[in-house]
Amino acid sequence: MTSVQPTELLSGRYQRAWTMAVLFLVAGWHLAGAGGQLLHNRQAYSSFAFQGAMWLLMALAIAAGSVMVLRGVPGWRAAWAVAIVGLAASTAAAAASPAGQMLAVNWAWGSAGWIGVLVLMRRRFTELGCFLAAEALATLGVQAWDGLNRTGLAGFLAVLAWSTGAQLAVAAGVRALDAAADQAAAAARSEHAALERAATAQIIQAARRTRWLALQESAAPLIAELAAGTADPGDARVRMRCALQAARLRRLLAEGDEVPGSLLHELHASADVAERRGLAVEIETAGPLPAVPRPARRVITDAAIAILTDARSHVRITLAAVAAGIAVSFVADVAAGTRLPTAEEGVTIHQQQDDGIFWAEARWNGR
Amino acid sequence: MERQVTVAIIEDHPVVTEGVASWIRSDSGQRVRLVHAAPDLTRLRAEPRPSADVVILDLELAGELVTTRIPELVAAGYRVVAFSGHSDPEIVMETLDNGAHAYVSKEEGRDHLVEAVLAAAADRPYVTRSQARAILADQHPARPVLSAQERQALLLWFQGMSKASVARRMSISENTVRQYISRARAKYAATGRTAVSKEALLARAIEDGVLKVGEVVQYNSFARGPADRSTLGAPGR
Repeated sequence: MTSVQPTELLSGRYQRAWTMAVLFLVAGWHLAGAGGQLLHNRQAYSSFAFQGAMWLLMALAIAAGSVMVLRGVPGWRAAWAVAIVGLAASTAAAAASPAGQMLAVNWAWGSAGWIGVLVLMRRRFTELGCFLAAEALATLGVQAWDGLNRTGLAGFLAVLAWSTGAQLAVAAGVRALDAAADQAAAAARSEHAALERAATAQIIQAARRTRWLALQESAAPLIAELAAGTADPGDARVRMRCALQAARLRRLLAEGDEVPGSLLHELHASADVAERRGLAVEIETAGPLPAVPRPARRVITDAAIAILTDARSHVRITLAAVAAGIAVSFVADVAAGTRLPTAEEGVTIHQQQDDGIFWAEARWNGR
Repeated sequence: MERQVTVAIIEDHPVVTEGVASWIRSDSGQRVRLVHAAPDLTRLRAEPRPSADVVILDLELAGELVTTRIPELVAAGYRVVAFSGHSDPEIVMETLDNGAHAYVSKEEGRDHLVEAVLAAAADRPYVTRSQARAILADQHPARPVLSAQERQALLLWFQGMSKASVARRMSISENTVRQYISRARAKYAATGRTAVSKEALLARAIEDGVLKVGEVVQYNSFARGPADRSTLGAPGR
């Protein structure tokens, strides 16, 4: 399943509303405008059945075009197929109309233009322009064939001006509304991202503050004990306590350049839990680290958690840039071998056990 | 027993000086003797001749980075081991380029400081994990070319393996591991600004068979112009 950004849904919802509006306009025009004119003048046609068939054909073209535009922006083949069917039906209906009365009885011209608007409105504007020009030429051609006089030409130009004008205006309006919806969505998106960043920063800040407060409780007494001489630096347990506090302090200092969601960040979070049960964890990086995709990160952090759980007192984690990828390694005092996750998602895992010291390396070699 | 190596420590935190002194005292072979401890370089600079073989230098004195003071210490005849809380690879590289023999981070002090001092006194390379990290992270266009084996040995060492474990992992001897790591370090001594300490380290590396003369010239020509190359013709210095 693909995840959809809420902002994309937002702009998609607006665009669908414009589509529905145009759809009702086109269908309403064909049904009431063109259909009404056809019925009103039914006596004038030499074959009302043929005119009716053309009307039905155009209604089908509108239905097909509606399905297409509701599914998204149609491809040029599909869009033009529907548009040409509409144009052909309209031209045939005009040709079959009685000569000289065309402006009065031709119901089809407007519908053909609206079909073009319906299927071409979200494609390049020149396509719609070409279509409307072709339609006007076809209608003019039919009139010329019938014998064009001055009154006929003037009427033609008047109808051309208002119908084509209205059609172009609707198409331009849809484009402008689409652009506005996109802008609104982009603004919402950047606001959403800013909020998310702020929230993440707050979480990190709070976590850091919690750790700082915890350090106040754990490191400060240790330093006091060392200063007072009640804790002996020669004692292995005191040294372990020092190492643990030092590691925590170091991490607190190193956290400045963390990127939320990065592998480093996740490893720090895993180490945090282990530290709470008294493990000394150090994390070091070498070189500019690449961004690792989430599935690969999961394999690596799973390995980290397995090792952090089995280690007795100390774990060193390093992240080094290698060739196109990253080598994340763990050196820990683990008595027996640790069960590591299966190497997958482009991550290879190697391990070696030497006298109570366990080494493992998870390597992701880029995509 | 060999002659003790004398060491001076320049460090502005008395507790750190105390710690270093205790590491030196607890060395079972008593191979190092602390002869001078000061919070700054004033007295050391006033000495007519070097008062110690090696200077352990804290890179931040009174809140100020002192990496640029390394060349004058080196020119005065000291070997310098930088000892610092700054483990930023850029600073490590700058420290080495200025002629410090080795870089030891404060976390590595207990395990590595005395050994690094001894290596510096003998002009031998010493590579801590933080130094390996800086070499691995090096992105400078004029950086020396490391072989795949050298990089792998440095990487495993940086990751925290012992040299013996690195050897097992790479199916080579521990000695060869040391050789790879030392060679990578020596290649760096042949790049960048010239310093007596770097020439001495190179000369010793060639003497020890870590590096061949041909390799040195090649890497040097990678980094610098002909003016610097002339100084490398005299490995006996």
